[in-house]
Amino acid sequence: MSDCQHHWVMTNVKYGFVIFEKCYHCKELRTYFTEDDSLLLGDEYREGEHFYNRLESAQSFTFDLICTRCNRLETFNDLIGLFYCTSCMPNCQVEKLQQQYAPHKTWIMVAFGVLPDAKKNPIPQAKLDILSDYFNQRRDTTRSRIKIVSFELIADLARCKGGFIHDVGLLTKEGPSEERKPLF
Amino acid sequence: MTVQELIKIMGLTPLSTFEDREVKGVFISDMVSDVMTAAKSGNLWLTIQTHKSIVSTANLADVSAVVITGGKKVPQETIDIASKYNIALLSSPLPTYTLAIKLHELGIEAE
Ligand SMILES: [Zn+2]
Ligand SMILES: [Zn+2]
Repeated sequence: MSDCQHHWVMTNVKYGFVIFEKCYHCKELRTYFTEDDSLLLGDEYREGEHFYNRLESAQSFTFDLICTRCNRLETFNDLIGLFYCTSCMPNCQVEKLQQQYAPHKTWIMVAFGVLPDAKKNPIPQAKLDILSDYFNQRRDTTRSRIKIVSFELIADLARCKGGFIHDVGLLTKEGPSEERKPLF
Repeated sequence: MTVQELIKIMGLTPLSTFEDREVKGVFISDMVSDVMTAAKSGNLWLTIQTHKSIVSTANLADVSAVVITGGKKVPQETIDIASKYNIALLSSPLPTYTLAIKLHELGIEAE
């Protein structure tokens, strides 16, 4: 056990794209990150029993965190993106947490793992806490704090209207923007 | 200088409700990934982007305010989320370049 009071900074930042696909047979959702923009124009494809269709792609980035004091590296290649709640479902655990934490000026953000793996092996809470620590270390915490929670707390992915933090409108390969439908 | 002081001096239009705070430096980018990786707490963020992601980005990066330049129209949804998170969302009819020069004249610089 290290007794370092870790101070995290971003490292290994990669810019690329998050791709969302869904099998139209079993409705399984697949997400992955790629730096290859030729994958943006993907067609339907078969893999085993699945027939994956492109739902959406978004410009995003991935990163790891490193401690400036002890050089400990915490990798986040299992994190596909950060997601904000739009309070779309009153019975959703994320919305309940938001209401619980808002009076304490703590904002909830949702970490999304790589699907479908993350459904079985979600990002461990200890790693989400490191992510929360990172964002709190770079902010004025006398004003407000950040708390990162797991996407598993979302009540109903099929109805969720929250959104991924992503870049918009900076690429010619992106289609015209339209009002976002629930992703899943 | 605080956000409210800057609004008066620069003739900015506040779009959201927010708590006043100190402005420390300026960060200019139209990519939220840029802001997430490199902006510093208290920075004034100048951008032409108006989509919802800018609010959560501003929140995570702890910028003091977001200034939408060039008089771009901001969707009501973006404004509502900004108010929810106490993020100062401001608008300026000036292009980013002109605004940056004025900030420089006030001693607010990129860090
Ligand atoms: Zn450490
Ligand atoms: Zn399938």
